[in-house]
Amino acid sequence: MNLWESVTVALESIRSNKLRSFLTTLGIVIGIAAVICVVAIGQGGRAMLMQEMEKFGTNIFYVFVNFREGESTRLGDFREVDARVIKQVVPEVKYMAPVRYSNMTLRGNQNESSAQVVGTTADFARIKNFNTSWGRFFSEDDNAVGRRVAVLDGALAIDLFGRGNPVGERVVINGNPAVVVGVLEEQESVLGFNSQQTVYVPLSFLQQVTRSNFIHELVGSAASKEDVYRAMDRATSIMERRHNAPAHYTAHSMEQEMQSANKITGIMTLVISFIAGISLVVGGIGVMNIMLVSVTERTREIGIRMALGARRKDILVQFLIESVVLCVLGGIIGTMLGYGGALLIAKLAHWPPLVSWWTVLVAFGFSAAVGVFFGIYPANKASKLDPIEALRR
Amino acid sequence: MIRINEARKTYHTGTVEVKALRGVSVHIRPNEFVAVMGPSGSGKSTLMNLLGLLDRFSSGTYVLDNVGVSELSDNELAGMRNQKIGFVFQTFNLLPKMTALKNVELPLLYAGVKPVERKSRAMTALQQVGLEDRMCHHPNELSGGQNQRVAIARALVNDPAIILADEPTGALDSRTGVEIMHIFQELHRKGVTIVLVTHEQEIAAHASRILYFRDGLLVGDEIVENPVDAGQTLASSVKEVSDI
Repeated sequence: MNLWESVTVALESIRSNKLRSFLTTLGIVIGIAAVICVVAIGQGGRAMLMQEMEKFGTNIFYVFVNFREGESTRLGDFREVDARVIKQVVPEVKYMAPVRYSNMTLRGNQNESSAQVVGTTADFARIKNFNTSWGRFFSEDDNAVGRRVAVLDGALAIDLFGRGNPVGERVVINGNPAVVVGVLEEQESVLGFNSQQTVYVPLSFLQQVTRSNFIHELVGSAASKEDVYRAMDRATSIMERRHNAPAHYTAHSMEQEMQSANKITGIMTLVISFIAGISLVVGGIGVMNIMLVSVTERTREIGIRMALGARRKDILVQFLIESVVLCVLGGIIGTMLGYGGALLIAKLAHWPPLVSWWTVLVAFGFSAAVGVFFGIYPANKASKLDPIEALRR
Repeated sequence: MIRINEARKTYHTGTVEVKALRGVSVHIRPNEFVAVMGPSGSGKSTLMNLLGLLDRFSSGTYVLDNVGVSELSDNELAGMRNQKIGFVFQTFNLLPKMTALKNVELPLLYAGVKPVERKSRAMTALQQVGLEDRMCHHPNELSGGQNQRVAIARALVNDPAIILADEPTGALDSRTGVEIMHIFQELHRKGVTIVLVTHEQEIAAHASRILYFRDGLLVGDEIVENPVDAGQTLASSVKEVSDI
């Protein structure tokens, strides 16, 4: 008797007991559906997160004082010229900008509002992929001659000037008037990184206003994703040499951020799938239970088959295949249900549904393995029956 | 065909020893129709199980179709059952979820015969017992006599050396029983070797030889000079019915 014929026999037996077969395999169906669903949601969520983070630029890195090691930022730790030198010397660095953060009160023609003020150079807009909906970002020239210009983000522009195009209007920053030269396009993000209203001004202007040359950090972008780590290393070591301050500086990148986010979502998916996987084991026990009942019920059939020439191996294979076919059928139904569930949830959560082929493959392999594992004991029991005893039932 | 020498079988149930066979020697030649008779507990069922290779002797030798079966492994015994022996049981022992045709195909399945050949051979066997128009019926759609005929077709399909029938008429009314005996006699005429267990003298009278068992011993072995012809019985009973 070949394998295909054994499968046919198993299918016939499953078909003749439809309701029971369905109830038996229900545990497997639910288990597989749960695993597929969880993994799909996990992967979809991760893809969503990565997409969001990539909007902020994966090439971005920051050089700042290593406050984690107890260092603190002092005046003179960063100079505007440091950014220019690093950009010139390190080929992996594409753009480099010094950044000074401050909080100030802004007044437009409609309203007054408190906002974050970022003093930087023209490179900042290139690093952050800023686009303007009106006007322009300030230029190198604006910074070089200390022009009093400002670029508002969209929300701040509406807040200060109401609706309309505020380019050319006057904005007063802590009592210092400046001209609005541009309004930034809204960078949409589910993650909500850019919640604070911000105005961008040339660093030289901010230094005039605050009467201080203090700079918080440098922000740069590498030529490519692969160059980020080299760019960070070289920028840091240049800073240490120029300021003669070993271990004073450190760098951090969006890429690192993404990797840790990736890791966290991966671990979470794994943990939840493991929990969902427990239901598979429970389902497997259900299959074993019913297979044991089935062996007892079909003792006579086993005896007849043995009398007609079935070897013990044939009986073992018959019951084993029945259990595997049952579990694989459960796996197929479960995969379809899980896929449907993942699709539904993805639609509700607005993220891409990801059911990868390997998830389906693993689910299949796993349900077959459950079938073998929980089928072997009942099948073995069936094959060990004494034909005379079995025929007497 | 069958040669048993000093066969003994002892069962151990708990502490009690049951000597089911206490040294039996029988020789059954090809194309014999042997009836085995005896009261219950005489060892005739044990003998059938042993002849059918479902069990092993405690001691003694058994040669079936020139093969000494005492030294065979379980798998080899299964192969012998499949190839050399056709079983007919009192309660038919058909698989209820399968059609008559599928039931008859079953021994061929374990013999590794290809599906197409399996089907044609099973159909031929069913024709031999006159059930060619009931092939797709399930056992619960057939009468007892028809079911027993399906079982006989199943026993025949592998072209066995011997057919072992254990009380094949025990669950049937007497007329249907005679019909079954008619089929056996037809097969016997075609050269099939048959061993049949029964406790009814009228049934045994159809055989060509009768073995009597008592208390695990062979106590009688007689040749039936003029076996009852089931065909005639049937013809005359039809006549009786038509006379009325």
